[in-house]
Amino acid sequence: MLRQVFQLGCLLACLLAYMGVAVSGFAQQGHPLTGTWNGDWGTAPEHRTQLTIVMTWDGKEVKSVINPGPDSAAGSVSVDVVDWTVRIAADLKDPSGKPVHVVADGKLEDLGSYHRTISGTWRQGGATGDFKLTRE
Amino acid sequence: MLLISAAVSAQRAPSAAYDSDRKVKLSGVVTRIDWVNPGAFFFVNVRDSTGTIANWAVEFGNPLDLEKDGWKPSSLHIGDTVTVEGLPARGPARQALATSVVLARTGAKLFVASNKPIAKVASQPAPRGPDGHVRLGPPPGKKGYWGTPSATVLVENTGATIPMNRDGILANIEDADKVAPFQPWAKAVYEYRQRTLLKDDPYNRCMPPGGVRHFQSPYGFQFVEQPEIGRTLLLIGGGDRNWRTIYTDGRPMGQKDNLVLTYYGTSAGRWDGDTLVVDTVGFNEKFWFTNGGLPHTEALHLTERFTRSDFNTLRYQVTVDDPRTYTRSWTGGWTIRWVPDEEIQEYFCEENAESTFVR
Repeated sequence: MLRQVFQLGCLLACLLAYMGVAVSGFAQQGHPLTGTWNGDWGTAPEHRTQLTIVMTWDGKEVKSVINPGPDSAAGSVSVDVVDWTVRIAADLKDPSGKPVHVVADGKLEDLGSYHRTISGTWRQGGATGDFKLTRE
Repeated sequence: MLLISAAVSAQRAPSAAYDSDRKVKLSGVVTRIDWVNPGAFFFVNVRDSTGTIANWAVEFGNPLDLEKDGWKPSSLHIGDTVTVEGLPARGPARQALATSVVLARTGAKLFVASNKPIAKVASQPAPRGPDGHVRLGPPPGKKGYWGTPSATVLVENTGATIPMNRDGILANIEDADKVAPFQPWAKAVYEYRQRTLLKDDPYNRCMPPGGVRHFQSPYGFQFVEQPEIGRTLLLIGGGDRNWRTIYTDGRPMGQKDNLVLTYYGTSAGRWDGDTLVVDTVGFNEKFWFTNGGLPHTEALHLTERFTRSDFNTLRYQVTVDDPRTYTRSWTGGWTIRWVPDEEIQEYFCEENAESTFVR
């Protein structure tokens, strides 16, 4: 039994070690905003709404699609490359289907990391909260 | 010593892994030897002043270079006592890059570079095939490959002097604008990579040296020309020991939207006089396409010109066109020397990942 636990532990360690290398290897190295970002926003830790934002760089501007799918919305993205602050603005729909304007101001962190993040303030209609997105 | 530094840069930028502003001296007993690529390591138990023993990993060169200098795995044995001087790793790892290794029982210095001068080869015209084209590979019955590049960095060919080391780290970050016509985001990324000493370079983790990078890497490359089936293979000696296929059958250059994006892209070649002109598109964004951390996007299009100006010299010129990263296309290049009568040696980057990446 002890031997089996040890073998399982070794297998897990090897797998994690392999994944550590592999994940780094698949990092996207182009424009830092390009890719799919997952995370959430909310006005409190217990009130969170999941977010997925897909961003692409076409050479002139960053384009974004917020929550791809039937309720997706195009967002405008501006970035200041001096300090890597990012603003995302979009018109979404609230749970009742009413249009609601969103402005998210955040900062890109861990620029060289595959799992870089953007976090900051999310304003949606009259609500203000925080958000954090991680590049997947 | 010089050889050791050069050998280590075969896959990793020493400046990213090791702190050249500090030194470390270690004495102890060798517990393990990893004579594998990309860097050979031995491990040594070092006792500190309190009597505590710590195991250090000591990188001492690349096996291919070490063997060329006459060193063998048997030059050192488990149980030998050694004194090592070197550069400590950045961060908390008990790891060092050796600049001197002395065997205690004999006082002999181990793994010293021979610094043999490169043999001068008589100048000859470039060989030609039956169709009259210059051969980029060896003539029939001969061996050889393209070896040491004259430059290991890519900068725009403007004539400007840009001091940097062989890994592409600028002596003065203010020179970034002279390297290439960056878009603002690309310059910011490039400067970030420079300031962090290229620590995030995928190449450091044995990712393929795509773009122009396989022509900057040690251990050379070889052309295998197959005109009868309309292609030239480019065998890469360093990095992940991969290959490129350059189609010379007249097919048009690939269209990015229809390609699976890869590290080496999709290449179509044609002859322009004695120059093989190769267009390549279809690169992914998972690698750095040149030493020094210049960014690129999937829009990257390289136009490479290979000119064997004489038997021993290959002129390499590349035009970089990536309108999502640079404000205009730009051109750089270098020359590469022929290594006669030898074959590319076996080199795989990944063999001692355990030592170098997980430790």
